[in-house]
Amino acid sequence: MVEFKPAGDSALVISFGEVIDENVNRKVHAVARAIEEASPQWLIEVVPTYSTVYVYYDPFMVSYTEVAEAVKHFLSAEPDEEKSRIVEIPTVYGGEFGPDIEFVAQYNGLSVDDVIDIHSKPLYRVYMLGFTPGFAYLGGMDEKIATPRLEKPRLKVPAGSVGIAGKQTGIYPLESPGGWRLIGRTPLKLFDPRKDPPTLLQPGDYVKFVPISEEEFWELYRGGQDND
Amino acid sequence: MIELLQVPSLLTVQDLGRTGYRKLGVPVSGVMDEVSARLANYIVGNPDNAPVLEFLLAGPTIRFNASAVFVIAGDVGVKLNGVPIEPWRSYWAKRGDVLEVGTLRSGLYGYIAFAGGIKCERLLGSCATYTRAGLGRPLKAGDRLTLGYVLLTGKEGRVLPRELRPDYLAKEKVIRVILGPNLDHFTEHGIETFLSETYTVTPESDRMGYRLDGPAIEHSEKGADIVTDAVPIGSIQVPANGKPIIMMADAQTTGGYAKIGVVARVEVPLVAQSRPGERLRFKAVSVEEAHELLRRREKMMTAIKAFLNGELRAYRIKTGGEELIAFAEVEKE
Repeated sequence: MVEFKPAGDSALVISFGEVIDENVNRKVHAVARAIEEASPQWLIEVVPTYSTVYVYYDPFMVSYTEVAEAVKHFLSAEPDEEKSRIVEIPTVYGGEFGPDIEFVAQYNGLSVDDVIDIHSKPLYRVYMLGFTPGFAYLGGMDEKIATPRLEKPRLKVPAGSVGIAGKQTGIYPLESPGGWRLIGRTPLKLFDPRKDPPTLLQPGDYVKFVPISEEEFWELYRGGQDND
Repeated sequence: MIELLQVPSLLTVQDLGRTGYRKLGVPVSGVMDEVSARLANYIVGNPDNAPVLEFLLAGPTIRFNASAVFVIAGDVGVKLNGVPIEPWRSYWAKRGDVLEVGTLRSGLYGYIAFAGGIKCERLLGSCATYTRAGLGRPLKAGDRLTLGYVLLTGKEGRVLPRELRPDYLAKEKVIRVILGPNLDHFTEHGIETFLSETYTVTPESDRMGYRLDGPAIEHSEKGADIVTDAVPIGSIQVPANGKPIIMMADAQTTGGYAKIGVVARVEVPLVAQSRPGERLRFKAVSVEEAHELLRRREKMMTAIKAFLNGELRAYRIKTGGEELIAFAEVEKE
């Protein structure tokens, strides 16, 4: 079931099958962490995704076969018993911060308050980070608020925007173009290259959206800027 | 300090990239052509990773506000105070001198290295510019850059012989790739197409990726999309239209298109220097072969560095009508 494959001459992929599944993903993070902690000399870095672990190695120090042999020992790593970190994301829903929330409500035959309620209830698992620095692939959104992407993507989505695309939800860490339905915005900085780690969320974390008012948003926003 | 007087195209500060943050979605970035940039650094006596200026096609005009030793790497015309000078040779510039770099005759990216490197704010351990996340920004006219302090004596007048310079003029480039890791998303016919046909670099290519045009590569019943996983530099993604995209220095760290192969690291500079309209073919090699090629290249890089530092002597030799360079140790007294 577990497969090793080369991804070029400087990376080995440990594949646990092509699935989006919480248990598989917990295993992925456990194995990635075990390799990182052992930190063999030839290790450049590890990238855990939904169902694979990419092990980047230094080809001047080690052969592919040696890497494959070495990572076998980490496959027995077990996920932590307790849940990892829970990161609260204060979010203003609706208004200019979430211009599409009414569409999401109408599309699903709900009120705006229902959407806020449904969206802020679950603990979302951070399956992986990618796409742009600090962008989290979250799992666990209720299908009751699933909404298709915009037909024409916006040219500029502000950093911190919380959106819905199909059955997914996520936060834009940086200002960028984007086609997700925007339902709110957080004042938190999701990516700050002057911090270590530079991202607020880490793979394996859990996210909880906490509704706040506009006043609270600006207060937190200013606080965040002052800390720079 | 130097001041940029004219910046005709994309100009950025780059080093060999940012590692250790891919799992947080931060791309590696860094120079597109590792070989040219490192050679430029060797010529002015810098370490491999010293920050350099990378220009796309057309170089900048620079005024020196203090003396400095510099070199241009690339097939390009250069003038110092209006007088033509050579690329791949280091020169001493005095305060007030003006350097004009022209347009590359071949290749796509050129480099300017200064003895002592360029001072920059290291973000996440690197000076590599990745504009999208606010890790540096493209440079513009009027920008001033501070150079690293270094004893300049002896760094000028070093030249890299023509035979040792990268040659990016090939009509049709053969790029070695390691097949996979998503081979099960392609039919045998699709893999055959990829390895036997010729692909053309399109104008929709940038530091993030090179889009290619050519015969469509057929996907298997699993289709073009995969469950999003990682994207090493050199990954060749094939979206539903069957046209390959080679992921380059600024590529996103993860992606959802099936990868038919990954370009051998040793070939990434060759891909980087391919202009829109140029043609590429792909040849499958094993990981072991790719490692061997990489080791051979590094031996050559080490020899060139020693030669430029005066620790090795280089001789032109002719074998079978081909001119080669041989290295020999300099005898110590």
